[in-house]
Amino acid sequence: MLVGAFAVAHTPQLLIRPETEDRDLVLRVHAAMGRVKQRLQDLRPDAIAIVAGDHVEAFFLDAVPALAVYVGRECAGTFGPYRYRLDIHEPLARAVVEQGIERGFDLLYTQDAPLDYAFYVPLHFVMPEPARPIVPLHVNVYLPPQPTPARCHAWGVALGEILRGRPERVALIASGGMSHFPGTDRYASPEFDYDRGLLDLLRDGRGRELARVTGEELDKRGNIELRTWITLLGAVGDVRADVYCYEPSWHHGNAVVEWPLPTP
Amino acid sequence: MAAPDPVSERAHYRFPPSEAYPLNRCLYALKSDPAFIERFVADPVAATAELGLTEGERADLRRMDRDALVARGAHPYLVFMAGLRLKMAAEPGALEYF
Repeated sequence: MLVGAFAVAHTPQLLIRPETEDRDLVLRVHAAMGRVKQRLQDLRPDAIAIVAGDHVEAFFLDAVPALAVYVGRECAGTFGPYRYRLDIHEPLARAVVEQGIERGFDLLYTQDAPLDYAFYVPLHFVMPEPARPIVPLHVNVYLPPQPTPARCHAWGVALGEILRGRPERVALIASGGMSHFPGTDRYASPEFDYDRGLLDLLRDGRGRELARVTGEELDKRGNIELRTWITLLGAVGDVRADVYCYEPSWHHGNAVVEWPLPTP
Repeated sequence: MAAPDPVSERAHYRFPPSEAYPLNRCLYALKSDPAFIERFVADPVAATAELGLTEGERADLRRMDRDALVARGAHPYLVFMAGLRLKMAAEPGALEYF
């Protein structure tokens, strides 16, 4: 069953802060992530499924999957001085890949790929105690051609049905967003007004409209990572979002959001 | 030859051209391979000698010239994170870890 749904920013400067970043802003985002941690504590999930876009870490140009599921016993990765290793909820991960393929989604699965910081940064801040096993779900956001928002949404609908059909209590997290343009000449000028408009739409419970956004639009608005949110929105349907924070830094729209789900 | 696809040519994140593969491979190593970062910091000329890069690519890499690298087909995210990792290697004390 699906007991919780959240979106959490993962910009690396939240974990490793250079002097270019406003410390108070970083701490405010940490406080919002602390609320997610408390909510997860209260929701008592058996597993946390997390949708993130690998930052060309596990999947370089040797193989570029649109959608992937980590199905090993555990997964591990590094970021700077951080070394992390997380248990995978293997029965749940296997159910997702098997039932996902039955439903027509040609998922790549891996028992060995490294785990990118896009998965780790939110979990570093929101993992309840004791730590829960996870199911990492990759969506290609950085290497064009990416899956369309419509495809991400359809995958999310299927994912939601799969998770609701399972005996485990599952919390779903979308990692990433909002507007930012790393490595481009737009880095210092994200589209914050676009983000605010999106958040209003999500507060109104109109997330399904994002399935109709084009990939071109997401790229133009610095929101290619929104594919992880759109996947989650397929799973949560028309639930109204509760925006914990929206903190625009000089290069990134940091958002933390919950979609409070009805008790299953 | 067909005209370039207008959508992907306008995009900030474009299909990585195959001629830039060696460059992207090098940036990937700078982003994700701590041993290579160490070799690059110590001697960027020697570290990039055997990677199939052009002289121009190697010069832009030494300067980490973002716009020049991206114009050569480097993936912007790889340029961004390679630069951040080099900064982290150069001045670890200037960073706050949470």
